[in-house]
Amino acid sequence: MTETFDIAIVGAGITGCAIARQLARYDLSICVVEAANDVALGASKANGGLVHAGYDPAPGTVKAQVNARGCELYGTWAQELGVLFCRTGSMVLGFSDEDRAHLEKLRQNGLANGVPELAIIGPDRIHELEPRASADATCALWCPSTGYVDPFEVAIAALENAVANGVTFMRSAPVEAIEVAGGEATDGAARFTLVTPAGDVRCRYLINAAGNGAANISHMAGAEEFQMVWRQGNIVVLDKEPRALMPLYPVPTPVSKGVIVTGTVHGNTVITATAAVREPGDTQTYAADVNALLAGARKLVPDLDTRRVVRAFAGGHPVIQGTNDFFIGQSAVVPGLFQAAGIQSPGVASAPAIAERMELVMREAGVELHERADWNPIRRAPDDFDRAPLARKEELIKSDPAWGQIVCRCETVPEAEIVAAIRRRPGAVSVEGVKRRCRAGMGRCQSGFCQSRVVAILARELGCDPSEVLLEDTGSWLVEGPLKGVR
Amino acid sequence: MATFDMRNERAEAGATEAVQTQAFDVVVIGGGPAGMAAALAAHKAGARVAIVEREQHLGGILRQCIHPGFGLSHFKQELTGPEYAQRFIDQVRATDIALFLGSMVLGIDSGESTEDDALHTVMLMSPTGMLQLTGRAVVLAMGCRERTRSEIKIPGSRPAGVFTAGLAQRYINVENLKPGSRAVILGSGDIGLIMARRCTLEGISVEGVYELMPYANGLRRNVKNCLDDFGIPLHLSTTVTRVIGHDRVEAVEVSQVDEHLAPIPGTERVVPCDTLLLSVGLIPENELSVAAGVELDPRTRGAVVDQNLQTGVPGIFACGNVLHVHDLSDNVTTESERAGAAAAAWALGAVGTAAGVADAGCELTVSPAGIAGYALPGRITTVGLTKLNFRVRRPVDAARVRILAGDEELFAGKVRPFKPSVMESFPLPAKVIQQALDLGTSEIVLSVDPVEEA
Repeated sequence: MTETFDIAIVGAGITGCAIARQLARYDLSICVVEAANDVALGASKANGGLVHAGYDPAPGTVKAQVNARGCELYGTWAQELGVLFCRTGSMVLGFSDEDRAHLEKLRQNGLANGVPELAIIGPDRIHELEPRASADATCALWCPSTGYVDPFEVAIAALENAVANGVTFMRSAPVEAIEVAGGEATDGAARFTLVTPAGDVRCRYLINAAGNGAANISHMAGAEEFQMVWRQGNIVVLDKEPRALMPLYPVPTPVSKGVIVTGTVHGNTVITATAAVREPGDTQTYAADVNALLAGARKLVPDLDTRRVVRAFAGGHPVIQGTNDFFIGQSAVVPGLFQAAGIQSPGVASAPAIAERMELVMREAGVELHERADWNPIRRAPDDFDRAPLARKEELIKSDPAWGQIVCRCETVPEAEIVAAIRRRPGAVSVEGVKRRCRAGMGRCQSGFCQSRVVAILARELGCDPSEVLLEDTGSWLVEGPLKGVR
Repeated sequence: MATFDMRNERAEAGATEAVQTQAFDVVVIGGGPAGMAAALAAHKAGARVAIVEREQHLGGILRQCIHPGFGLSHFKQELTGPEYAQRFIDQVRATDIALFLGSMVLGIDSGESTEDDALHTVMLMSPTGMLQLTGRAVVLAMGCRERTRSEIKIPGSRPAGVFTAGLAQRYINVENLKPGSRAVILGSGDIGLIMARRCTLEGISVEGVYELMPYANGLRRNVKNCLDDFGIPLHLSTTVTRVIGHDRVEAVEVSQVDEHLAPIPGTERVVPCDTLLLSVGLIPENELSVAAGVELDPRTRGAVVDQNLQTGVPGIFACGNVLHVHDLSDNVTTESERAGAAAAAWALGAVGTAAGVADAGCELTVSPAGIAGYALPGRITTVGLTKLNFRVRRPVDAARVRILAGDEELFAGKVRPFKPSVMESFPLPAKVIQQALDLGTSEIVLSVDPVEEA
């Protein structure tokens, strides 16, 4: 089976999803081709959700341009996509005169990158802004434009909006080979053929947003050769606090922003991230990394109760060897192939601007973009029972008693919300997919109480046996099958 | 938490219609063994009682505890969990105790905490709609949850096949589903031991039970009946240091630990398996209590209570595993009957007649010392025979309980062995409390002190 599209985007991480959403407004047929069985399962998953403001990238780099712009765009994106976004502001805490000099450099950097309203502040203002910040902090870079999102929600919402506007999503379709026919990029012929086990995809233009797989896609297309470095980050999530913490950063090192403590849109605390070059594909957590995170966090927030770990996880950030920058542009070797590669940190913060830049690059390359009359930028967010006002809770239960049937007690997720997460397009096909969409199993008991119920709902909705229900992707079965033949 | 005014029957501003309200004397949150015993005791004392239970059935976690060992002290016969629960379910069903099943409490509003006659309003969701219950007294009986892999920070990958022991128990005993073929169990708590036997009986091979501490954490009878009798090895001072496998568990790495419980490099061993069960501790589920303003004891992670099991919020009581983790359901029942009776006395204004009202000038805090991990109740406000509960932090062959006030020893118990797996109970005589008050102290200390053998 072969399908033909104007554009194929390889990779349904936050970058690919944002680009799909950006291009869905034009009169083009688009397919997002994803190796995994769901959205945001690669680098986008190993993320703390911070929308960094853009004061750290070196001025003049692509990163510097898309980071500050992405942060700016989040307000509109969040509104249109119906996702949670808190623009809380942030502080980089300094503890010495040496740190203060660094903060000043960082401020100058930020000004050059167009980051608004940066200021160096003293202890009184620091503790007014975040009373839990370390009392030892003597100075800070205050940056009002920093914020945070739920990175799964952003990627999922962007793709849902794209799909609602006609984009096709192909999951479990790892690209095994790419055939490129001759001819001009803009002659209208579908020159690229992507070979996948889920069927072949032909397209006129190919967008490489394959995250950690980007070098491989570029190589298969006969385009630029580069190597990916697996810069692995461990991240820890702590239980909810009565008031979410403002993002607090240490003074950065040359390769990393250091161990950051931040609140999240759901009220948890996240400690992110270590940075160590490891074997490609290594998503293990390491005791030394987790301990370094907890110790680093306590330096910024001494009263942090680091025993309340809800989850520790890790993933690789797609870094292109030899550069710390993003690679966004048309391939110089294979016209018609557009690269969005090396999207490491700050990939989440930059995603809306990467999408915007990709559109510009394609337009400049001669891709004809005609806006569709029926394009709808608005995604109506699904009902979130826990956050709904009392009257809405009543309405929901009146509309369907399953809204009153609790499944996940830690995050207050009723059965109807889980069913909605499975029925959305693209919907959840796994226990973790349900969790990323509606938080069932995301809480402190880590699905100890609700997993068997979520498995039963998935089996019912997907029309399969519980033994076929997956935790995440292929091979991640949860139960073998019935114990006894009794029925 | 949403706030709403319960004296005025209108719900919060913005609601299109008022949330239905029903009034009771005592609202019990949780329909497990603790909640049922508390409700029955409150009912017996003449209170109008409601039980709110998340599940469609009463019984709580006992419904999946199909092994025997329940009821030995309460009913003088050995029952399984469901049988033990059923005895209470039958009793509850025979009364007019109102049952709100399939209902989850979203919040408790206690009004101004200074008002002693304040009503508590319990907001709940259920498939029939939102509902609020008012009560002069509330009994917290929500039980506990299992510690997770994340809380004990086991490194490695995050594949399918890592289950808390209770989740595996639910799959096997309630859902009739087989969670794997080859299991490693971390933690020798009672649930881990019972699941080792259960898995073996269901054809799941148990490669071994690994325990961080140098001693078994569960009851002695469970070590014998569940491991020894089935030839399942128990590896002490050993823990899981890495989970291996990308999609499904393929193996775990285990390491021996030193006297500081740190893994010893060079002792790593890879144990092939497809399932890792965790029995690494229980945590009272007190998120609701904290949101209601109840102060917790960091040692038990349950509420700080007085001798009547009343929390720091007047009219809110706590019992069972939400208060402190018990080893035997029979003890949960006994404790919860006390809480239910005290809640009814409070609600009906009969506090003065029963073991209730605070004696003027009696305000003592109780602190643990020595190898005692905690002491409960944490406050004593009445001069009367008071039941003290505690657990020791490590096993000892010879130790004694001492009650201290400052430098004074008010009481010293018999020398005997103590084990962390056993929740101890100790009757504190009224005269000892009076002695402490006469000394002018505000704190007594329950100290369990190992005794050097001569």
